[in-house]
Amino acid sequence: MPNRPNQTTLERQYARLGILLIAPTVVVFSAVIVYPLLAAIYLSLFSIYTPTLQGEFVGIDNYVKLLSGKLFWQSLGVTLTWTVGTLTLQVIFGVAMALLLNRSFWFRSLARSLVLFPYFLSTVVAVLVWRWLFNDLYGALNHILMRVGVIDMPLDWLGSMPNAMIGIILVGAWKYFPFVVIAVLARLQTIPEHLYEAAKIDGAGPIARFFDVTLPQLRSVLTVIILLRAIWDFKEFDLIYLLTGGGPVTSTQTLALLVYKEAFSLNQMGQAAAYAVAMMLVMLVFMVVYIRRTGTKET
Amino acid sequence: MADIELRNVRKAFINFVALEDLNLRIEDGEFVALLGPSGCGKSTTLRMLAGLEFPTDGEIRIGGKVVNDVAPGKRDIAMVFQSYALYPHMTVAQNIAYPLKKRGVDKAERDRKVERAAALLHLEPLLSRKPKQLSGGQQQRVALGRALVREPEVFLLDEPLSNLDAKLRSYMRIELIELHRQLGKTMVYVTHDQLEAMTMAHRIAVMNGGKLQQFDTPDAIYNRPANLFVADFIGTPSMNLMEGSLSGSNFTVGGQSVTIDRSRLKPETTDGAAVLGVRPEDIMLGDGTIDAVVELVENTGHEKIVALAVKGCDRILARAPSGSAITVGEAVKIGFDQTKTHLFEKDGEGRRLNLDQDHNSLP
Ligand SMILES: Nc1ncnc2c1ncn2[C@@H]1O[C@H](COP(=O)(O)OP(=O)(O)OP(=O)(O)O)[C@@H](O)[C@H]1O
Ligand SMILES: [Mg+2]
Repeated sequence: MPNRPNQTTLERQYARLGILLIAPTVVVFSAVIVYPLLAAIYLSLFSIYTPTLQGEFVGIDNYVKLLSGKLFWQSLGVTLTWTVGTLTLQVIFGVAMALLLNRSFWFRSLARSLVLFPYFLSTVVAVLVWRWLFNDLYGALNHILMRVGVIDMPLDWLGSMPNAMIGIILVGAWKYFPFVVIAVLARLQTIPEHLYEAAKIDGAGPIARFFDVTLPQLRSVLTVIILLRAIWDFKEFDLIYLLTGGGPVTSTQTLALLVYKEAFSLNQMGQAAAYAVAMMLVMLVFMVVYIRRTGTKET
Repeated sequence: MADIELRNVRKAFINFVALEDLNLRIEDGEFVALLGPSGCGKSTTLRMLAGLEFPTDGEIRIGGKVVNDVAPGKRDIAMVFQSYALYPHMTVAQNIAYPLKKRGVDKAERDRKVERAAALLHLEPLLSRKPKQLSGGQQQRVALGRALVREPEVFLLDEPLSNLDAKLRSYMRIELIELHRQLGKTMVYVTHDQLEAMTMAHRIAVMNGGKLQQFDTPDAIYNRPANLFVADFIGTPSMNLMEGSLSGSNFTVGGQSVTIDRSRLKPETTDGAAVLGVRPEDIMLGDGTIDAVVELVENTGHEKIVALAVKGCDRILARAPSGSAITVGEAVKIGFDQTKTHLFEKDGEGRRLNLDQDHNSLP
């Protein structure tokens, strides 16, 4: 940092102290984020056999294959379908549940802990339960749907399309909507009651009050929620891998699963790294939007 | 036509009775202040008029129609909140236009009305700002604008000036009086500031502990307080209240007695324990029969407030011209202006014992 002439000694000392204080963060950040990132880009330029991690330099061959092949584009499509689908449901369920919980105090304290349950449950446990619910032979879901009369034959939930996609989207929504509930509920509680009363007097009904008072107040928190969850859903791995393993065939194979398969089933570490780098570039778009949004809010 | 009537209104919350048997009749076009100490039920009364709270018992009529079960938006009322409650994401113009929009007024008409309201309240240069970019006084005017743009028959205002500084408050007081004069609509104004109530309202409803104490003109409230509470609550410094006993035309306090004009008392008044009330300006220093000692002199600039110790009662406050030479520790004789003393029951509700018309009959 250059010493500007109008800086006082004290200001220079503070500047030095500042550098000292952020140094540990920079070091750790470099070790855990920058190094793996560079390593992945480096690996993507080689044709590497995973078990030995040996291979030759191939330049941009992996990327050429990625762009010209069908696999990447198909997985990108699957990933976007999954992300948009599950995120939409998360936000709708999350906001609806938050509105409900915000209404009554008695209801709130009990329900709040119940609502958080899926979020805290380990993914493996959650998936085991859902696989049992979805099972086409003895699953509870088919049983109930047949009892009620919605279907008259058991449905193959995870083994056929579009049921498998609907299945993962539903489980994803169930697992992650509590995050939306908590964030939205916290914001809802800070909306002054007087605004609703003023709107009532101004002649706004319940729906108008939601759109004219509640929603504008939720806008900033929803932007952050949607961007964060979009990034997290985009790279979701364990939930999908455990539920469908990417199947049937590759119908639910998201980019994260594609990277895994390429690296550890097909043993093509270099190609996998190329997929990972491409995936990261897509996520970069979300991240730039997120940083823009959160950055401008403070000024 | 929008007169307001509350008949035997009672309001009980889960664990608290906020209002008991409230009866109030407000004429069309009248400016009425609800005045009382904190927690006496002023806001509750106003919120029931607005439809934000519902009476447990009794009847509320606006313009002759029972509105107990009518939603706030369907009553012909507008309300200004103490916190203003402006919609933070809307501009000033959008805030003012909102009640019109919700009532399906078309855009051109809306714009015209917003413009007119803005002109009335000097808001034109602020129309495209957000509430956050306004000062307290400006926000308050926007809240007023949102209330009056719809031209409702009744305005309800809950301490609209309490967030403003003293100077702006006295300015807005005059603006509000002027606004009421122009619009000629019924206004109900909640305040705990007696100066606001006294200067603005045609009539004041003084409340305490969920009960109406007196409902009358500022002049009557000041000069003929209906009971001890009103006597004590209205006026700064407040009325001197001396416990003693009445016997014929004599009122005895702490062994000293003063003469009372018995003809100014209600005929049914009986001798015995009573409370004599005298306003600080009705105490004559150096002219009377009661012995007092000057304890403290407060010079406010245009007058002096003199605190006097009198045997047998609490400290007595008197007003004196700022030029008067009074020194602390001095012994003085004091007397009361015979035509302006007040007598109250000592027990029960502390009702006024003077004849009601006595001040009107003064020369
Ligand atoms: N929702 C409620 N539940 C229970 N008690 C309430 C409720 N709202 C008001 N009260 C009580 O009713 C009484 C009257 O309240 P109110 O708000 O009308 O007072 P106020 O005269 O407007 O006082 P302030 O000058 O402080 O605004 C208070 O004692 C208050 O605690
Ligand atoms: Mg109040």
